[in-house]
Amino acid sequence: MVKENPRAKAGFLWYTMEADGENMIEVKHLSFQYTAKRKILKDINLTIEKGDWVAVLGHNGSGKSTLAKLIVGLLTPTEGEITIDGIAVNPDTVYELRKKIGIVFQNPDNQFVGVTVRDDIAFGMENLCISKDEMLRRIDQYAAKIGLSAFLEKEPSTLSGGQKQRVAIAGILAMSTDIMIFDEATSMLDPMARAEVMKVIRALNEEGLTILMITHDIEEALLAKRMVLLKQGEVLAQGSKESILKHPEYFEAARLELPTALKLYYKLKQEDLMTPELEATLWAFGSNM
Amino acid sequence: MGIRFEHVSYHYVGNAKRPYEAIRDINLDIDAKDEFIALVGHTGSGKSTLAQHMNALVFPAEGTVRLFGATITAKRNKKIKYNDLRRKVGLVFQFPEYQLFEETVEKDVLFGPLNFHVPLEEAKERALRAIRLVGLDETYLKRNPFNLSGGEKKRVSIAGILALDPQILVLDEPTSGLDPLGKIQMMELFESIRRETGKTIIVITHDMDLVYRYATRVLVLEKGSLVFDGSPDRLFRRSKLEDWHLDYPQTIRVLKKVKETFGWNLDVYQPTCEEAFAELKKAVTK
Amino acid sequence: MKSIVIGQYLPGQSFLYKIDPRTKLVAMLFLLVSIFLLNTIVLQLISFGVVLTILMLGKLSLRRIMRGLRPIFVLMIFTFVFQIAINTAGVPLIPSGYETMHLSPFSLGAALVWTVLWRIGVKTLRVRFWLFLAWVLGLYAIFHFIDIGPLWGTFDFQVYSEGVRMSVFVILRLMIVLTLSTVLTLTTKPTDLTQAMESFMRPLRVIGLNSDEFALIISISLRYIPTILDEANKIMLAQASRGADFTEGKLKDKIRQVVSLLVPMFIIAFKRSEDLADAMESRNFVPGKPRTRIHELKFGAWDLIALLFVAATFATSLVIAL
Repeated sequence: MVKENPRAKAGFLWYTMEADGENMIEVKHLSFQYTAKRKILKDINLTIEKGDWVAVLGHNGSGKSTLAKLIVGLLTPTEGEITIDGIAVNPDTVYELRKKIGIVFQNPDNQFVGVTVRDDIAFGMENLCISKDEMLRRIDQYAAKIGLSAFLEKEPSTLSGGQKQRVAIAGILAMSTDIMIFDEATSMLDPMARAEVMKVIRALNEEGLTILMITHDIEEALLAKRMVLLKQGEVLAQGSKESILKHPEYFEAARLELPTALKLYYKLKQEDLMTPELEATLWAFGSNM
Repeated sequence: MGIRFEHVSYHYVGNAKRPYEAIRDINLDIDAKDEFIALVGHTGSGKSTLAQHMNALVFPAEGTVRLFGATITAKRNKKIKYNDLRRKVGLVFQFPEYQLFEETVEKDVLFGPLNFHVPLEEAKERALRAIRLVGLDETYLKRNPFNLSGGEKKRVSIAGILALDPQILVLDEPTSGLDPLGKIQMMELFESIRRETGKTIIVITHDMDLVYRYATRVLVLEKGSLVFDGSPDRLFRRSKLEDWHLDYPQTIRVLKKVKETFGWNLDVYQPTCEEAFAELKKAVTK
Repeated sequence: MKSIVIGQYLPGQSFLYKIDPRTKLVAMLFLLVSIFLLNTIVLQLISFGVVLTILMLGKLSLRRIMRGLRPIFVLMIFTFVFQIAINTAGVPLIPSGYETMHLSPFSLGAALVWTVLWRIGVKTLRVRFWLFLAWVLGLYAIFHFIDIGPLWGTFDFQVYSEGVRMSVFVILRLMIVLTLSTVLTLTTKPTDLTQAMESFMRPLRVIGLNSDEFALIISISLRYIPTILDEANKIMLAQASRGADFTEGKLKDKIRQVVSLLVPMFIIAFKRSEDLADAMESRNFVPGKPRTRIHELKFGAWDLIALLFVAATFATSLVIAL
């Protein structure tokens, strides 16, 4: 399903999915700037459906983290509007909305509030005035789900980065969240820890959680269902994984690297050396499907 | 001259969780010229500990480290100026941008040379050379380091170490936090430094693609022991890299997949995408 | 560093761990007052004995407590010397004829040599206290008995019984106070202490002080202590790799080196505050808004026993003092 964006630069197409599911997050004409000099985000339009797993890809400085903060209401848009599950995000609604949507940030140390794992998972629930018994019950439940049951009494200084990020996830789940945003949540982790966290994210999405994943790592993005490419604060393209991967020029424009398999795929196509079987193999391998 | 490790071990002393991981019986020879070494291994395998032995920040618990003529053992030798050794081996930590503290880039880069009492005029020349070497121009010298982008800050920090004119440059995960293009730019930077100055570069990394593309030698640590010391090619020809918690580079994985699926006679050991393509092209056009 | 539990808290099972931190704080207060009401050495010794008994009943390691006293060892020596020197009341203890101290090049030279021997002894032998004692006695002997050579001066050094009594008294008190506080921090988690303090501060809400936020600030600060220590260490190593030698150098150099450590620490701290504020806000934290707590302090049987004991002790001391 291809739609041309009248404002897009020549040669760039803009795919949108037919809205067949419920829209969880809608971003309409969103712009944001700190100072008059430079717009961090320009006229962003996005839709994310319930149960979706969207990867927002962009180079450092493309505005992707700012987008995440705007969606959870930590920043106020300069122009435009964001709706979550039909409710507009503004200072009055933000408290209620944060019960539905949670965000895991990049630095595992700078979001761990509690003195122990249990205390940290409890933090959000304490803020929501949940009773002590209910808190303890939920902590046990979600810790078990994420594989942290043995860690409940541990202090953050004894945990690895991957473990801390999983604690953050548990803490958000415990507030009965429907949507989770991962703002480069694995960029400070080593490959093993990264795999740990991605496993959890995948499991959550399979259970129906809506996931918005901000990253610059293509291998992570390939696990998602849909992609959004950002460049210098603008949406270059958005659509299903397959449709985006069919346009290598977007990746180059966005300063992103395609996986090697797809680079080879396109090189072969360019020199007209492709065979159908080779095409299928490379495509499947490269797009992780 | 260079660095030589002889039966070097380092282990926890007292408390179970020191900031340093253990290393066991390391034997290693590093030349001060022209090598591009990748130091890889799982988290906790001892890479950082090993790196900190290379500039005498840490002394071995057992064994000897010979650094440019100085013999370092567990006992502190009053005759050796350990601080001096840090001119010869420059160590850049992970997230080096956190070490910036001066008001201007120039002042920050000067910190190192001035600590070694290099005369101001000469130090300034070195700072200029170092800034150019990391791909930034003189206009950066008067700027405030805190106003720079993440990648620029990293480069300034590296310039701060280069200004010491070390013969060996050790970098702990220098591409952490950079986007894909940034990672390649950083590695190209090290390669160009090596070409221009003939220094030896040692990079601690997890990225096997970068290792295959740039390194001439790979050191693999597994639970504190040095289990491999050789060329990347030889490393990737091994069949059980997972035992060492390592992955194969993408080029090898893709070519292996194609080879398996179609039974073509491919040489899967291609370090770069271009070479992998050339190999594929050969097979397809046959 | 990472395995050092925050503060000195060591997990345990004895009754001391079961008492509510609020009770412990109140108990400590009254016990301290009781001790200060008693003013003879004998009574102090009895109090110390009582404290030690509590310790042993609570199955706490005496060694660990004594180690907690080490930091004030110097203070104790100073107090002792001070009292001995200043206090001239009571009966002179050094028999007459033995109190004259002779200052001559020989005695001073001998004292110097003796001091050097003492320092060498300390470095090699490690029995500090006895060596110290030997040093002091040796100095006395040197200055009293070596009266040869050109005398540059003499003075009478006398120790009076009151001086000794007072110093013993003060030192005993110091030890009791410190032992009690060590017991407190050893058996109470820092977060529990914070919560106890917070509940005491609650009445202050009327004047606008938010005890809840106070407790949160303290517990977050405690949580970050190991992290910050770790980061400081890393920055020191990074700057050391640039030639910063934190041990040597002129004052000007030293200042720059300290700045090279402090500025990055501050920057990290500011970034951390920003990030943490975002994280807390996104988890529905609203300053001032009431929150439930996962840790609740509850009184139990042991609290009653402890309070009764403390009340009895306090009453007894009051009676004795009056």
